[in-house]
Amino acid sequence: MIQLSKNYSLPERQEEPIPIKVVGVGSAGSNALDRVLLDGMDKNDLIAVNTDVQSLVSSVAARKVQLGRECTRGLGTGGDPELGYQAAIESADELRQSIAGVRMIFICAGLGGGTGSGAAPIVAQLAREAGSLVIAFATLPFSFEGKRRAAQAQDALARLNEVANAVICFENDRMGDMVAPKAGIHQAFGVADMTISQSVRSIVNLIQRPGLIRIGFDDLFAALRTQNGRCLFGFGESDSDNRAHDALTQALKNPLMDKGRMLSEAAHVLVQVAGGPGMTLSEVEILMRELGKHVRDHTQIVFGTAVDGKMGNRLAVTIISSLASEDSNAPQSTPPIPEPFLAPPPAALEQIEPPPKIDPPSVAAATYGAAGVQPEPEVVPQAERSPDDSIPFEQPQPVAAEAPQPLPMPSIRKPAPRLIPPKKKPVIEKESKPPQEKYVHAKQEMMQFEPITRGRFEKSEPTIVEGQDLDVPTFLRKNIKVK
Amino acid sequence: MASGDLIVGLEIGTSKICVVVGETRPDGTLKILGVGQAPSRGVRKGEIVDFETAMKCVHEAVVDAEQKSDVMIRSVYVGVAGGHIQGFNNRGCVMLPEDRDEIDDQDVDDVKVNAREVSIPAQNAFLHSIIQHYHVDGQDGVLNPVGMLGQKLEADFHIIHGVRTRIQNTIRCVKELPLEVEDVVFGALASAQVVLTQHQKNLGALVVDIGGGTTDYILYVDGAVKQSGVLAIGGDHITNDISMGLRIPMARAEKLKIDEGGCVLGNCLPGETILLKDDSGFAGKEIERETLNTIIHLRLRETFELLKRTVEEEPFINYVGAGIFITGGCSLLSGIDHLAGEIFEMPAHVTHAQTLAGLTSAVENPQFATAIGLLKYAQAVQIDRPRGGITRIFGRLFNRMR
Repeated sequence: MIQLSKNYSLPERQEEPIPIKVVGVGSAGSNALDRVLLDGMDKNDLIAVNTDVQSLVSSVAARKVQLGRECTRGLGTGGDPELGYQAAIESADELRQSIAGVRMIFICAGLGGGTGSGAAPIVAQLAREAGSLVIAFATLPFSFEGKRRAAQAQDALARLNEVANAVICFENDRMGDMVAPKAGIHQAFGVADMTISQSVRSIVNLIQRPGLIRIGFDDLFAALRTQNGRCLFGFGESDSDNRAHDALTQALKNPLMDKGRMLSEAAHVLVQVAGGPGMTLSEVEILMRELGKHVRDHTQIVFGTAVDGKMGNRLAVTIISSLASEDSNAPQSTPPIPEPFLAPPPAALEQIEPPPKIDPPSVAAATYGAAGVQPEPEVVPQAERSPDDSIPFEQPQPVAAEAPQPLPMPSIRKPAPRLIPPKKKPVIEKESKPPQEKYVHAKQEMMQFEPITRGRFEKSEPTIVEGQDLDVPTFLRKNIKVK
Repeated sequence: MASGDLIVGLEIGTSKICVVVGETRPDGTLKILGVGQAPSRGVRKGEIVDFETAMKCVHEAVVDAEQKSDVMIRSVYVGVAGGHIQGFNNRGCVMLPEDRDEIDDQDVDDVKVNAREVSIPAQNAFLHSIIQHYHVDGQDGVLNPVGMLGQKLEADFHIIHGVRTRIQNTIRCVKELPLEVEDVVFGALASAQVVLTQHQKNLGALVVDIGGGTTDYILYVDGAVKQSGVLAIGGDHITNDISMGLRIPMARAEKLKIDEGGCVLGNCLPGETILLKDDSGFAGKEIERETLNTIIHLRLRETFELLKRTVEEEPFINYVGAGIFITGGCSLLSGIDHLAGEIFEMPAHVTHAQTLAGLTSAVENPQFATAIGLLKYAQAVQIDRPRGGITRIFGRLFNRMR
């Protein structure tokens, strides 16, 4: 028996973390890096990228890349995205070096300024070319910063959307809601950084934590699939008596969730529940049932759970989802890797390849390989059904032809956005509408047989004002149904 | 041990009995020495319905206060409430004799007696006659007429009265303990002493003390009491509504109200629930927060609307400049100030007793506003009175309370 349990836990222990890097672009990005470091990420995983040398010097990141030595000469861009773009192009080689061989890259940038807006898309592009997965965390400026900045930010966001695998976008205006009205402005910005850091951390944990029910990249992308849509993200952690409830409440309170109201419109919701060894099934059940009330019946919930000794008594919930923008996302879909920076990344590919062969349950299998090795019923049949869809994506990617490995990445990403919604939507309409109509018909006024009671005031002198006995509950007298 | 004069306020509330012990210091400040309380039983809507039980509870609270403040309590000021208590305004008038035109103390006393010569129901007794303003020969707004010249002295009084036997029940309950009753004070009047500043009284303010069984109100304009009364609706009604609406036991409903209750609608997450853990005799239950808030909201809205209609019978509410001050245990419900503000269309504040020395943490709880107010009231009365044991007759006048 002892042997069995040892064997059981072995594969998990041997797992080595996926190499990741967090890149902060611009000064907003490096602020976010400061926070990420404070929250317990390794210094060596951080890369600060900026045009402004002063800001770069004060950054905590172990690796720093100065952009545009020639064109900005160590100064900032003065809010000009064009300059930021040129600076990034100038330093493209250095950037490429710094991110080489990394499986997963998080880019933090504050959009609206020069460096963030101009350089972040380039960094994302270079990373994609190097074969990494790119998740961008972008903050949009406060609306009081002016329309010009907002427009620049939207431009940059659109470009990021084109190149990055997923973009999680934080609106600073919403962050303001989280801060007490009297709190200082630094706190408002602090909250924005904190939220970014939380997101980075929880996505890293999501991918890296040994999962009982594992969530892989494919699930993550399915949840984040929309283009130009709004990303919903929530994270909550609690160690109270009622921790399942508290953690979920906290997650729903995240400003990106709008108190959970937006969840009701999402088509995919990814939930990961992580806790210490003391996490019970009933806790998870309570939590999921409660979450179920915030989403519609047809919403697909991708559920993952993980036990991590480091969590101790705490229980953490991560909710990730996205809302489609009004215009259908079909025409834009997957970002083809743009031409100008084509640089075959053989090193990166070889690193990726071995794990699936050696150790099936390892990270790569669960992430990239998941679609291929352990075919999920959804992904595979979809890919078969829509061969014409997947062709255009492979074509613009010459790299794909050389090595088998990069293929699954786009193909995982593609089917998710395309296939699931069209499949689901007709079903929704069929399923949800008729029962609604039925309900309307079935609804019937209930006749009250019980005499109206006065509860605990039964024996005391009635309070009769204006002909009404006020001891009878108001909702009964006004005939308002409360349940 | 207390070094100055000891004053004790006792409030027999519907949900709890609380005793506040304070001392007046030589410099005129009031220091709170201790607060004793006990859950109340045998009291409904501010009135004693089970004499024996209520007496035991009062005893418990007094003993608690004695222990905490380390003093012996001999006499108390008692706060009363109950739906039978009413207030109205009356004007008294005396003509000076022809051969004299300087108003003296005797004339002022006469005018008070005169003002009380109004018909209140036979079974009722006066609780307070509170001077608003004097008029000398038609001159308005005289505060102290003694020494002025004039022929005709008039005085506006606000008179608060209630059913004699019911008030006596409360007094008897205390006297049986035995404790001496120094005075009987209308609850909201006491609360107003510590909740409002003189400036707010001058600006005009409505104090609403929502306790367990009753909602007491008192309205000040120009520094004088203009309206007062009691609605026999309180926190108990909310608890009862919750208990019936959600079908949970009263004790659970009470706890749920205190821990989670709020009265603003549309402010919670869709489908947000509160989990009631199971307990012996009670299977756990999940409750939608919006349902809970709806029940509370409906009851409080109705209470405020009723209160508004009541105070609007007279024009004084229009002269209220400082707004509404909500106190009492129910004021702890979140969002109650928004609701009151919305209904009365004026600023509403949740307040507690202000500016006292000693146990400030006790002061900051709106549940104690009445009991602490009793101390302040007693202090104000004692300044006017020679020290020593004059036997207090029930229904005595206290003209300086303003």
